[in-house]
Amino acid sequence: MTSVEPLKPLRTWSHLADKRRRPTEYEIVSTNLHYRQNNPDSPWELDPDIHMNKWYRQYCNDSPLQHDDWDAFRDPDQLVYRTYNILQDGQETHVRSILDQFSDREQDSVFSQEWVETLASHYAPARYVFHTVQMVSAYLSQMAPASTISNCTTFQAADSVRWLTHAAYRTAELAKSHDSVGFGENERQRWENDACWQGFRELMEKGLVAWDWAESFTFLNLVAKPAIEATVLGGLSTVAQQEGDVLMTLMCETQLRDAERHRRWSSALVEMALTQDGNLAVFNDWLDKWLPLADAAIDAYCHDLPEGSDLAQSAKKKVKDFHRQLGLG
Amino acid sequence: MGILDRSEYYDLTRTTNWSPSYVTEDELYPESMSGSRGIPMEKWEAFDEPYKVAYGEYVMTQREKDSGAYSVKAALERSNFVENADPGWVSTLKAHYGAIAVPEYAAMTGEARMARFSKAPGNRNMAVYGMMDETRHGQIQLYFPHEHTDKSRQWDWAHKAMHTNEWGALAARHFFDDMMMTRDAISVSIMLTFAFETGFTNMQFLGLAADAAEAGDHTFANLISSIQTDEARHAQQGGPNLKILLENGMKEDAQRMIDVSFWRSWKLFSVLTGPMMDYYTPLEHRAQSFKEFMQEWIIGQFERQIHDIGLDTPWYWDEFVRALDETHHGMHLGVWYWRPTVWWNPAAGVSPDERDWLEEKYPGWNDSWGSCWDVIIDNLVDGKPELTGPATLPMICNMSNIPIVGTPGPGWNVKDYPLEHNGRLYHFGSGPDRWCFEQEPERYQGHLSFIDRFLAGQIQPMDLNGGLAYMGLSPGEMGDDAHDYAWVAHYQTEQRAAS
Repeated sequence: MTSVEPLKPLRTWSHLADKRRRPTEYEIVSTNLHYRQNNPDSPWELDPDIHMNKWYRQYCNDSPLQHDDWDAFRDPDQLVYRTYNILQDGQETHVRSILDQFSDREQDSVFSQEWVETLASHYAPARYVFHTVQMVSAYLSQMAPASTISNCTTFQAADSVRWLTHAAYRTAELAKSHDSVGFGENERQRWENDACWQGFRELMEKGLVAWDWAESFTFLNLVAKPAIEATVLGGLSTVAQQEGDVLMTLMCETQLRDAERHRRWSSALVEMALTQDGNLAVFNDWLDKWLPLADAAIDAYCHDLPEGSDLAQSAKKKVKDFHRQLGLG
Repeated sequence: MGILDRSEYYDLTRTTNWSPSYVTEDELYPESMSGSRGIPMEKWEAFDEPYKVAYGEYVMTQREKDSGAYSVKAALERSNFVENADPGWVSTLKAHYGAIAVPEYAAMTGEARMARFSKAPGNRNMAVYGMMDETRHGQIQLYFPHEHTDKSRQWDWAHKAMHTNEWGALAARHFFDDMMMTRDAISVSIMLTFAFETGFTNMQFLGLAADAAEAGDHTFANLISSIQTDEARHAQQGGPNLKILLENGMKEDAQRMIDVSFWRSWKLFSVLTGPMMDYYTPLEHRAQSFKEFMQEWIIGQFERQIHDIGLDTPWYWDEFVRALDETHHGMHLGVWYWRPTVWWNPAAGVSPDERDWLEEKYPGWNDSWGSCWDVIIDNLVDGKPELTGPATLPMICNMSNIPIVGTPGPGWNVKDYPLEHNGRLYHFGSGPDRWCFEQEPERYQGHLSFIDRFLAGQIQPMDLNGGLAYMGLSPGEMGDDAHDYAWVAHYQTEQRAAS
């Protein structure tokens, strides 16, 4: 048939073989997996003109944010599925332990009425906002141009379920000791109508339909999540500390560990994208578009909190500081 | 008070639907991605997953599962099982990993479609665990074969296969992209999780695990049965959506999705799993025949599930049951004959003892398939191996993208099922394949099969070598007989004795 010399076995996948060192477990199991990126004309092996082929061409391949080799992206934490579960099982064991301890102390029953009402208005409905983060993360997983990016957003989607579950758990628990403020009953109504949530609801609803993958990433990981983390997690945690709600502070801390991890990979992705001419302007245009909505969301959320104005200023500054660290804005 | 029971907070985790007002509901859930079919949002909130899991339980259980699977691998690494295993079994492993690992990772996208676009909040949460599960299945099924890359370049195909235009990879992509990558959320839940995962992954992950355990491959047996425990959970997303469709008068649509997905799954398994179970697995390690596994897992269990949910047996059921005796034998004969075009070394599996087993399991095998193998065997015995390999290409079905096969011998039924559509002539391997095309021709009409590309001049030079190059297969990767034709010795001895 042919006289070509047979290919010799390699010590790793052929696409990693030109590296000088032995690949890590992370590289072996995470890299170059999106076969839809191979044929730009027809990402999926069907009629090139079906709706989903057009969707991926438009919102993934033809994104204004371009890079020659998205597959070169690496998660700085090098998380794989196996290590994610080890990490988060450890975190959840910690959470179970503190939930158990504070339940034994019957902490919820000694809260001031004012704090209970703040939890009902500013914390319990957060499961909706966490769920929207989960939904956008899941969108990014199906749209990102590299498996190493999708994996980060998949873990982020799972982390969002984690935050949502914590909020649901605490809501159910608070309902037991405080049955007059509507824990477990009024959250949807509050999310849809309360002034403090309308900024975030507007931000998230509009962001949920930002279909371009890179705009979706910019919206979520550079604007919306930092804003949510600076308020619903960080800001509320500060107030909780003043109110003696140590449990809330500890819960927020464990969630913020996830958030810090999300920022590490987001920063790495921005850094990689900025090596390509033109991308800085693309990011900045998107920040200009989304930041006013995020600022308004922060103001609305903080408005009725004690020292809300200071909290809002601090939160907005944190978001902008993050952009400055990334060389954006 | 202590820790709350899951049941005390679980419903709140899936009470997350709201009425959008800054964008419309249709913008938030575009019909093409969501597939809610006009059924109002609140009806989807009735979605009740039978298998419930909370985040903390998920990461704990999955950590333990991985710990088990990776520990068994580590413990058995020194036994060098693969180096000493029967080459037929090694071929099963290579074929499995190449066809399954990367598509499993791709299934994450199907799960993510549900996690973002389903209007059922419980579906959206379960699908995040599904995304995680499929990430696991992709990663673990890349990690396990990776250690063998230094044995043969064929192991590279565990990662490489889906990135090539190798015909089997192309067929697998056409199938998976149709069922799970390009459909709306509700269709994914039915076509991927209900029809494919409930029905067929049992075959690949439990049926093959039984063979692996028999063959002494405890690493693989343990791995794939561990995977199936995840499949058994996330496959349960389709049932509740089917219930909602049926309650809202959408039985016809639901039935069509099941019928398309089931047939397409069957055809893929006929070329992948059938040969593994009935030809590659060493005779003494075959737990059951492919047909017996299919009867147990598909006819016994899946058919009952379809009826329980209020759907009908697919219209082509009689043809499917008949095909259990036929299709995979033709596929195997084709794969072995066109062996340079696959990334594993097909085991012929037709030694005299194996033929006795085939005749017992499939009465009439010797008169039909056996008559073709007789010609191959005669040529090998006569020292004419060049007559046992391909000079041309087979006809390929425009739906399954695998060869068009039928039964040879006295019951000859090899037949093309053509269809002219918009001025183009399409070829199909069966009536149901053609029927699948006719349900939504716009999904398939512009796709070119391997043979269409060949005839269109996209494959150059227009010969087998051009085809192999197009498929990404070089010497060192191309398949050859798994046992290096050692099994032919039986027949040479027989012939010498006869003469």
